[in-house]
Amino acid sequence: MGNELNRRSFLNVAVSAAGLVAMGPLLSACGSGPAQRAGVGSEAALKAVLPAYVPNTAIKPDIASIAGGPDVMTNPGFLSYPANRVATVSGIPGKGGTYSAVTPLWGTIPPADNAFYTAMNKALGVQLQMKPADGNNYNTIIPTMTASKRLPDWIQLPTWWNSQMNVGGLVGNQLADLTPYLSGDNIKKYSNLAAIPTAAWRAGAWGEKLYGIPSFATGFQIAGTLYYRRDILEAKGITADQVKSADDLMNLGKELTDAKNGVWAFDDVYRYLYTSFGAPLKWRVDNGKLVHLYETEEFYAALDWNNRLATAGYVHPDALAGDNANGNTRFFGGKTLISSGGTGTWNLADHQSGQAANPNYRRGALNIIAADGKSALRVDMGPGANIMSYLNINLKPEQIEECLAIANYLAAPYGSAEFTMVNFGVEGTHFTVVDGVPTATEAGKKEVQAQTFPFLAAPAAATNSPGVPAVTKDYLAWQAANVKALAKPVFWSMNISMPQAQATADAGQQVEDAMKDCIHGKKSVAEVREAVASWKTSGGGDKLIQWTNDNVLQKHGTGQ
Amino acid sequence: MLTIERTLEAAETPAPQAVRKKKRNTRPAWEEPPTIAGETAKGITLGVVLLVMLVPLWIIVVTSLSTQGAVNRAGGLVIWPDGLTLEAYRVMLGDTTVRTALLVSLGITAVGTLVSMAVSVMCAYGLSRSRSFAHRFLLTLLILTMFVNGGLIPTFLVVTGLGGYGQWWSLILPSAISVFNILILRSFYSSTSADLIEAARIDGAGDWRILWSIVLPTSRAVTAVMALFYGVGYWNSFFNVMLYMPTDSEKWPLQYVLYTYVNRGNGMPGSVNAGFGTALSQTAPLSLQMAVVVLTLVPLLIVYPFVQKHFRTGVLTGAIKG
Amino acid sequence: MTTATPTRPDRGTRPARQNWRVRLRRDRSLILMTLPAVVLLLVFNYVPLFGLVTAFQEYDPLAGIWYSTWAGLDQFQRLFGDALFWNAVRNTLYLSFVQLILFFPVPIALALLLNSVLSQRVRNFIQSVVYLPHFFSWVLAITIFQQMLGGAGALNHFLRNNDIGTWDVMTNPDTFALLVSAQVIWKEAGWGIIVFLAALAAINTDLYEAAAADGAGRWRRLWHITLPGLRGVIVLMLVLRLGNALTVGFEQFLIQRDAVGYDTADVLDTFSFYYGIATGDYSYGAAAGLFKSVISLLLIWGANKLAHAFGEDGLYRR
Repeated sequence: MGNELNRRSFLNVAVSAAGLVAMGPLLSACGSGPAQRAGVGSEAALKAVLPAYVPNTAIKPDIASIAGGPDVMTNPGFLSYPANRVATVSGIPGKGGTYSAVTPLWGTIPPADNAFYTAMNKALGVQLQMKPADGNNYNTIIPTMTASKRLPDWIQLPTWWNSQMNVGGLVGNQLADLTPYLSGDNIKKYSNLAAIPTAAWRAGAWGEKLYGIPSFATGFQIAGTLYYRRDILEAKGITADQVKSADDLMNLGKELTDAKNGVWAFDDVYRYLYTSFGAPLKWRVDNGKLVHLYETEEFYAALDWNNRLATAGYVHPDALAGDNANGNTRFFGGKTLISSGGTGTWNLADHQSGQAANPNYRRGALNIIAADGKSALRVDMGPGANIMSYLNINLKPEQIEECLAIANYLAAPYGSAEFTMVNFGVEGTHFTVVDGVPTATEAGKKEVQAQTFPFLAAPAAATNSPGVPAVTKDYLAWQAANVKALAKPVFWSMNISMPQAQATADAGQQVEDAMKDCIHGKKSVAEVREAVASWKTSGGGDKLIQWTNDNVLQKHGTGQ
Repeated sequence: MLTIERTLEAAETPAPQAVRKKKRNTRPAWEEPPTIAGETAKGITLGVVLLVMLVPLWIIVVTSLSTQGAVNRAGGLVIWPDGLTLEAYRVMLGDTTVRTALLVSLGITAVGTLVSMAVSVMCAYGLSRSRSFAHRFLLTLLILTMFVNGGLIPTFLVVTGLGGYGQWWSLILPSAISVFNILILRSFYSSTSADLIEAARIDGAGDWRILWSIVLPTSRAVTAVMALFYGVGYWNSFFNVMLYMPTDSEKWPLQYVLYTYVNRGNGMPGSVNAGFGTALSQTAPLSLQMAVVVLTLVPLLIVYPFVQKHFRTGVLTGAIKG
Repeated sequence: MTTATPTRPDRGTRPARQNWRVRLRRDRSLILMTLPAVVLLLVFNYVPLFGLVTAFQEYDPLAGIWYSTWAGLDQFQRLFGDALFWNAVRNTLYLSFVQLILFFPVPIALALLLNSVLSQRVRNFIQSVVYLPHFFSWVLAITIFQQMLGGAGALNHFLRNNDIGTWDVMTNPDTFALLVSAQVIWKEAGWGIIVFLAALAAINTDLYEAAAADGAGRWRRLWHITLPGLRGVIVLMLVLRLGNALTVGFEQFLIQRDAVGYDTADVLDTFSFYYGIATGDYSYGAAAGLFKSVISLLLIWGANKLAHAFGEDGLYRR
């Protein structure tokens, strides 16, 4: 449930950018029979099948992970690319099988038959037919495949589309159960897969069984955070640790907004700020009673604050006009100074984009705050991984084993020989090493950089920004400063499949609409309360809460 | 037969038109001289219209030629040039997949337009003769589809059920007909050359002959416009590609390939910091997006004059009478 | 012969009531001509109509149409009791009406204006510029509007720097109908003229010459020759527009919904999207879609009758 936010913001981007109707799930018209969904399983049974975790120690990061609470840790960091590329897989993993694989790709699709694919197939010992599909329409494309039962042998299904793609219904029907191969110590056969943290496997588990192979697992998974233009604010003598409460933020709005010069302090920040007011991500348990976000006073306090921020004129007008797609460009251009976004925004490419506009560009993130400046700091963490690949149920056991051996190769840690092959290609052809940094050649840019294989399996995240170590240092310093605030929300990493009526109520469209108008300064908080009242009765909200209480909380607990 | 032969002759030599073309700015002899007030009003109106259309075009072209720095400094679309580069075009046109896709697009557009036009012209003429057998029933059958549809999935299931998944025809046949276009064609045909048709019929010409020798030559303007409508539709078609060949990148038409450039900047939300984005090119997505828009317009600018040519064929029927 | 008045029906000269067998034999080539189109429509439009049954179900994508539970008219009952639905219907009709008044005449006027330009070169140039915005996506069109007229746009930047206050038309619900009409005019008017240009081209110039010889001035020629020549197309377009009164566009409203709020911007299509598809309530969306279809059919039937009442052909001859 933690990725609800991601999915939502993604949908917004996709819809506004592509304008295509996200009709995905409509497509699966011919189901296989009366609906059977895999959902949450018993916690004890799941614990028994989760794979063992054996961290990889072959390559030491420059910045080590710092542990937070359970299942929480900062990413390891690399300031330079390891010169000694250790091999972690002995021999060729494949046995000559042929497999088709479909992954989303947010970018230009490489030529279908290219030198990199050939080299990879040789290294893997299989014929892996990579069929990347356009990432922005992926949620429409996949349901067509499942509707006509045309899933490839290996497929990537990002978790934020779990409900849209009906993953709960596909596992066991069209997607293979990997439990016999990976549970407990079985995974030790695949040492690189075993180095993926348990929380990530949990995100790919449905009803006490393992299905998904996680990519980019991380112990620091949050929906997103508030960013600021560190270069500009520091020039004004403002540092991140001066911001400790919602009032501090509001004051910054006044101080930084300079509409005459086209500068506004804020872009849209509600999504990543409301939990700072003490509101739950979606659910909370008060004295044993399950409470929905919309029922909490903290939710309305957050709305009220954002409403005041907008009406005070501190939010960029384009953001108020619903234009999220150009939010980054506004930030790069210094038109907005405080924005918000997923943690994936903060990387080398961002740095390069920002510097193209202004050589001083430096992104920083505000620390997690409590709106009142007093309460305990807390930010809800998401599931251990968002990128999840699955194998087709029609594969024979030995084929599944072959694919898992391939996955093991793809999951080789940062800096290893295999990682270098998967992410940079063949040295000399696809990249050359310049000042210790693997640098893509023209062929590399076209064929390798599109990143297709890592969507099938990849090692746990290691932060890196080859050539610009400052980005990694900044980012990990921020993670280290905030790691203690990460906590599991209610129903953390539980794959819940709801009946249609509850899923509709769960989306809460009428409240979301009223809410958006409220944070844009067009509706009062009282009007949102009205929308919530009607959501609870005619919108099925009360039934949703009841259903969730009966079927999830009472049966399986909070998952925290 | 006499009437028909004369028609054909006239179609080949639209004499008055040729005369007019040479004396470009002269008005016909029978028309009174323009008034100053009228001309001024006309000029101002058209000037404003042009300005409103050209300014955005300017912005789009400038943005497509801008460096990433310029786009980011502007915080969006670029109005005043501030660092120009051809990078966006280089990135796209230098890609071999773009070249294959161009061929695919041309093929689909040519074949599709041909199929659509053949089907539509026949259908429109078949329904244009009033009081013909069952024409109201057939028209109703057509019109109903404009307002009622079963939705995306059932259509998808029908096409894949017929084996259309990954097949070229799935990009053409399911959307080959626009009832709107047929209605427009029919409206033109039913008010066309009734006298000529009657004469031809007396001479013993059948409907196929009439369609080919009288109706088509005398309604070239609307035929050209419909071909444009269909052609543009195929050229820009997108959704069918996504449904029926989402992973066959070697079969993708140009628009779909270009679209993947547009979206490279969007990235994924909440993705971990694991090297996503390292794949991003140095060129700002916005300039790429605008370059895509410009590339979309180029073929239209090339084709449009050929359509425009036919807007002057109205004189043709006048010539037949003489 | 192209004339300004509706032509004589070429089959009307025969005895009106004929045996259908005779008529079928007489018109068999006409029927044959419509066959390919009819087959395509039957396969790709009529067969998929089975999807409509989801409106009467509690459709569950996972179970599929076959196994979903029947809901009878429940979805429609819910729909008709939903204030948001009626809000969307109201908005749709209002926006449709405003656009009919503001947008519909523009392409006709523009086509006439262009047609009156004597210089072929100027005319060709203008024509090939004005139709280009049709090919811009709505995202782009609205971004351009936002950058010009938005709160941080060129206009307001100027106003702000001259201390004249600001005028954010992009987020003002009161003027939204005018805004979207302006956007539609900008984007589609140039494209809309093409059909009218084709119709103008079909008018016999001899008629003008004869009228001029009879002493008819510019305006009288416009009134008595040009407009009647366009009448068939205009009436057809008008009938179709009325039939489509419940369709005002989708993307344009989807994108601007956040800017002015759903109270103002939700139209039937965005309603179906947000409350049907986006939230997984497919049957609800299908019910809204079916409602729209039924009303549209009634509208087109009515519009056609109206055209007949005015002695026009409409979709087909009476």
